[in-house]
Amino acid sequence: MNPVIAVENLRVRLGKHEILKGISCRLGEAGVGKAIGLLGPNGAGKSTLIQTLLGFHQPSVGSAHILGLDCHRQSMQVKTRIGYMPENDSLIADMTAVAFLRLMGEISGLPAAAALEKAHETLFHVGLGEARYRAVGTYSLGMKQMAKLAQAILHGPELVILDEPTNGLDPAARQRMLALNKEMKEQHGMNVLLCSHLLRDVEEVCDEVVILKDGMIVHQSDLAAERQTNKRFVQLQVTGDDRNLGTVLQEIGAEGVSETAGTWRIILPVEVEVNALWRLTARENLQITKLAYRRDTLEEIFLKAVGHRKPKAEAEVAHGRI
Amino acid sequence: MAVFRRGYQRYDGPLTGPGTRFMAIPRFAWSKILSQRFVVILLVLSLFWPLLCAGFIYVSNHADLLPNIGGMDASMAKLLEINGKFFAVFMNVQSTFAILLAAIAGPGLVAPDLANNALPLYFARPMSRWTYIGARMMVLFGILSLVTLVPGLFVFGMQASLASTSWLQANWWLGQGLVLGFVLYIAMVSLVALTCSAYVKWRVVAGALVLAFFFVLAGAAQMINQILRVEWGSLLNPGFAIYTVWCALLGVEPVEDAPGAWDCFAVILVMLGGLLAVLLRKLRPVEVVS
Repeated sequence: MNPVIAVENLRVRLGKHEILKGISCRLGEAGVGKAIGLLGPNGAGKSTLIQTLLGFHQPSVGSAHILGLDCHRQSMQVKTRIGYMPENDSLIADMTAVAFLRLMGEISGLPAAAALEKAHETLFHVGLGEARYRAVGTYSLGMKQMAKLAQAILHGPELVILDEPTNGLDPAARQRMLALNKEMKEQHGMNVLLCSHLLRDVEEVCDEVVILKDGMIVHQSDLAAERQTNKRFVQLQVTGDDRNLGTVLQEIGAEGVSETAGTWRIILPVEVEVNALWRLTARENLQITKLAYRRDTLEEIFLKAVGHRKPKAEAEVAHGRI
Repeated sequence: MAVFRRGYQRYDGPLTGPGTRFMAIPRFAWSKILSQRFVVILLVLSLFWPLLCAGFIYVSNHADLLPNIGGMDASMAKLLEINGKFFAVFMNVQSTFAILLAAIAGPGLVAPDLANNALPLYFARPMSRWTYIGARMMVLFGILSLVTLVPGLFVFGMQASLASTSWLQANWWLGQGLVLGFVLYIAMVSLVALTCSAYVKWRVVAGALVLAFFFVLAGAAQMINQILRVEWGSLLNPGFAIYTVWCALLGVEPVEDAPGAWDCFAVILVMLGGLLAVLLRKLRPVEVVS
C-alpha cells in the first residue's frame, strides 16, 4: 500500500523553537479517495506540518513524502499534484473570480483555454456560478471560503489540503462545504487532508485521524475502525477525592480522562459492565452524582489524546477544597 | 454541453512546461497595467523623443538636401553625426520615462499579493520565489522596454538602414551598448520598484519611494562630494553610475575626475544584489516569527 503522506522522524525548527519533534506516520492510500483529519490544540504544530508538506519549511531532521515524492527536494513535482486551501483570507481582491481561478490554473500548469474552462466549471461546482464575474473582494466570507476551495481543486489535484475550511460559515454553508469535501473523495477520488478544530467536521468527513500535541503525534487511528469497535463512552461525575480514579480504572481495563475536578470521561471495554464502575467508585469512597453515555467518539478520542486534565492544585481550588 | 450543466470533473489533460507557466503572471499584469490612463499617457509621451531622434537621423542621412536650404559646413556636419553621444543622450531622456513608468506600474505588482496574503497560493503551486520575482520582473521588463529598448532599437535600426553598410560595420557595438545599457537599467529600476512595492502597502507612497530612491541618493552623493571634497560620492548616485556605464558601452568620454565605469558597474551590481536580498527576505509564503 502506497501512502499518500509518509512522514519519517520529521523535525522542524522555526527560529530557536522546535515545532515538530520527530513525528512519523503513514496516511491515506494512493489511488483511493480518503480523507485524513488533522487535529490538535492551538500550537500543536498542525499548520507547521501542513506548511512542511507544502515545502514552505525545510525539515531539520527526517523527511516528508507526498505520493512518494520528497516534499523538500522534489517540491515542484509535489506541488503539481496537490491543492491547498489556506485558513486565512488569501484571494486577490480586485480580480474577478473567473480571472483569479484562471490565473491560478495557468500557474498550476493548465493551458490557458483549459484553465478558463475549468475556472467556470469549478465555480459552478462550488456554487459561485452566478457571482463568477464579481471581484473576489466583494464576496461574503462564505463565498470567499468557496472561492478558496475552488482554486484548490481547479487543476484536479490528487491531494487537497484544507486548512479550517468551515471557518466562519453559517450552518447551511458549512453543510455545503462538508458535502463538497465528501464528494471530492467519494466521487472524484481525491485524497483530502482536513485540518480543523471542529471535531464534528472531521468526524463527518474523515476516514483517518491524526492528533498532534506539542509537536508530536499523540494519536493516530482509523475512524471507521474506531466506530466499529463499539466501545462505550461514559461521562461520570463524582464527589470525593478522585485523584486515584484514573489508576484504578485501569484495573477493569477502562481508560479515563478528568475534564474538571470530579468530571470524568471514561472509555469502557465492551466486556465490562457499567456496574463495575459503581463498585470501583464505592471502593474509592466516591459518590456518583451523574453517569451518562456519550456518542461523540472523536471528541472522546481527542480529549483523551491531548490529556485534558487540569493540574491538581487548580482542580482542587475549582472544587473548593483549598 | 454548457459548463453549468456539465458538473466538475478532475482535469487530466496535458500540462504546460514548467518554464512557461510563470508567463501567466506577466500576461495578467500587463492587461491590468495597460488599462491605467496614466500609463497610456506616459507611453504616448515617451514616443515624442524617439520620433524627434528619428527625424534627426533622417536629416543627418539626407545631408544633400541641406545645401538647398542654406548649405552645410563642417561644424554642421559634426553636429548631425550619429555617434555614441547621440545614443547616450537618447538613453538619458528615455530613462526618465522609464523611472516614471516604474513608479506608476511597479507598486501594484507585489503589494497587492502581500496585502491579500496571496503568496501562499502562488508558492503552494509549482512556483519558487525566484520564479515569482522573475515573473514580476518580466512585467516591468515588458513595460519599460516599450519606452527604452523598443524605441532605442527602432532608432538604431533606422540609422543602420539609412546609413551605408560601412556605418553598421563600424558602429554595430553602439547597438550592443544600447541593448546592454538598457537591460542593466531596466533590471535596476525594476528591482527598486518591486522592493518598494514589497515594503510599502500604499501605492502612492511606494511610487514616491521609487522616485525618491533615485533623487535622494543623487542628493546624498552630491552632499558627500561637497562636504568631504571627494569624487567617489558619485558612486552612490544610481543615475550617475548607470550613465557612466552607458558612456563606456557607447564609447563616449566619461565625466572627468569621477569614478570609472568599472567602479560604477560594480556598485550597480552590489545595489542589484542588495535589492534582491531585501526582496527575497520579504517574499515568503509564511511569516516565521522567531
